[in-house]
Amino acid sequence: MYYVAKVDSNMCAEYKCNTCTLYCPEANTLMFDKAGNTSWVDIDRCKGCALCVYVCTDMLNRDCITMEMPNVGEG
Amino acid sequence: MSLKYITPAERFKKYLPKDYVELVDYGPFGKTQDQAGPGNMGQFKELVEEHPMCSGCWMAYYIRLIFASLPCPEETVTLGTAGCGRLAISQAAVPFVYGNYGDQNAMASGLSRAFRLRFPDKTKDVITIAGDGGTMDIGFSMTMHSWIRGERFTTIMLDNEVYGNTGGQESGMSPKGAVLKMAPFGKNFEKMPATGLAIAAGCVYVVRMSPTNIKKAAKVIRRAIFVAREVGPTFIQAYTSCNIEYSIPTEEVFADAKAQEKDRFQFEEFMTDEAKAVIERVEAEEKAASKARKAASKAAAAEVN
Ligand SMILES: Cc1ncc(C[n+]2csc(CCOP(=O)(O)OP(=O)(O)O)c2C)c(N)n1
Ligand code: SF4
Ligand code: SF4
Ligand code: SF4
Ligand SMILES: [Mg+2]
Repeated sequence: MYYVAKVDSNMCAEYKCNTCTLYCPEANTLMFDKAGNTSWVDIDRCKGCALCVYVCTDMLNRDCITMEMPNVGEG
Repeated sequence: MSLKYITPAERFKKYLPKDYVELVDYGPFGKTQDQAGPGNMGQFKELVEEHPMCSGCWMAYYIRLIFASLPCPEETVTLGTAGCGRLAISQAAVPFVYGNYGDQNAMASGLSRAFRLRFPDKTKDVITIAGDGGTMDIGFSMTMHSWIRGERFTTIMLDNEVYGNTGGQESGMSPKGAVLKMAPFGKNFEKMPATGLAIAAGCVYVVRMSPTNIKKAAKVIRRAIFVAREVGPTFIQAYTSCNIEYSIPTEEVFADAKAQEKDRFQFEEFMTDEAKAVIERVEAEEKAASKARKAASKAAAAEVN
């Protein structure tokens, strides 16, 4: 496996924002949950480009997304 | 296609693949841009499925945006050719025609004419989406002649300034001096003036842009489609970087697209008077319809309370 994006939902939900979901190169991958007011990643589809990290950290000065090694093989 | 053709019988749904049912239930078919458009990507089932384009590819991103911007996906046909883009375009839930290298605008000429004859009461959108090599090098004569003939469909060039799919040959659209794997001494010639050629050949709506502003990029795609329905050929040249051949770290792909906005892909929009009249009319209609929908939903909410 490789590093994929992970959203810290608690941090993300503090902002009324869905900016990163609009800039992921992949469709149906970085999603936005309107009820929970947070973005989330379908890790099976994430290609690990970290473009969303650029959006959240570099553009918006927030740090809600990190690149992490997923736990595969479980569940 | 048509909306009726796509929608399965309720009882049949449980036998269909999950992604298909999700598209029917949560996809953009038959919906407005407010309900399922570029502004709320990530909140509905998008037309583009999983595909093998590279991690962080800005071309893949722009293709995502094209499909989210379509005014009527159930009445649209796309045409393409060899090159990276077709890897994703062919995975979208919109019919895709793929022919010999570079012949997309010739095929689209026949197809858009046939649609007008076969479905005179319907609006069918025909869009060619191909690379810079497919559009301006190997497909050059077919691109130019379709424009000279005034064929009414939209041409979108995914300009990554290189032959990405075949490992880094220079194209007519590579900038002068570009050092690429198969242009190791740097390109000797200037980048082709694609928008100038399009205007000279008779395109009635022409845009060059780096798609970094979603609203603006979507508006341009829709304008190009609306104008092609009624007036004549339309053309978009969009910067869709190849992070592999230009060695751009993936997390910097967006920053690079923004830098290009001030460099080779400064925004340029050309339209004839006739095209302008169509744009003004359609955008006013859309605005009025959206206002009416908002008022209706407000009234419905007030009734519930
Ligand atoms: C007739 C023909 N010649 C050559 C090729 C090989 N070929 C495949 S893709 C490609 C170039 C792609 O460049 P471009 O159109 O810019 O698309 P990109 O991959 O950069 O998106 C070539 C030369 C082919 N498929 N058919
Ligand atoms: S950009 Fe950051 S704050 Fe905004 S939705 Fe994405 S993760 Fe949340
Ligand atoms: S790392 Fe790339 S593919 Fe994965 S969610 Fe972020 S932008 Fe999308
Ligand atoms: S080779 Fe370049 S243009 Fe092709 S998919 Fe990869 S990054 Fe995108
Ligand atoms: Mg190319």
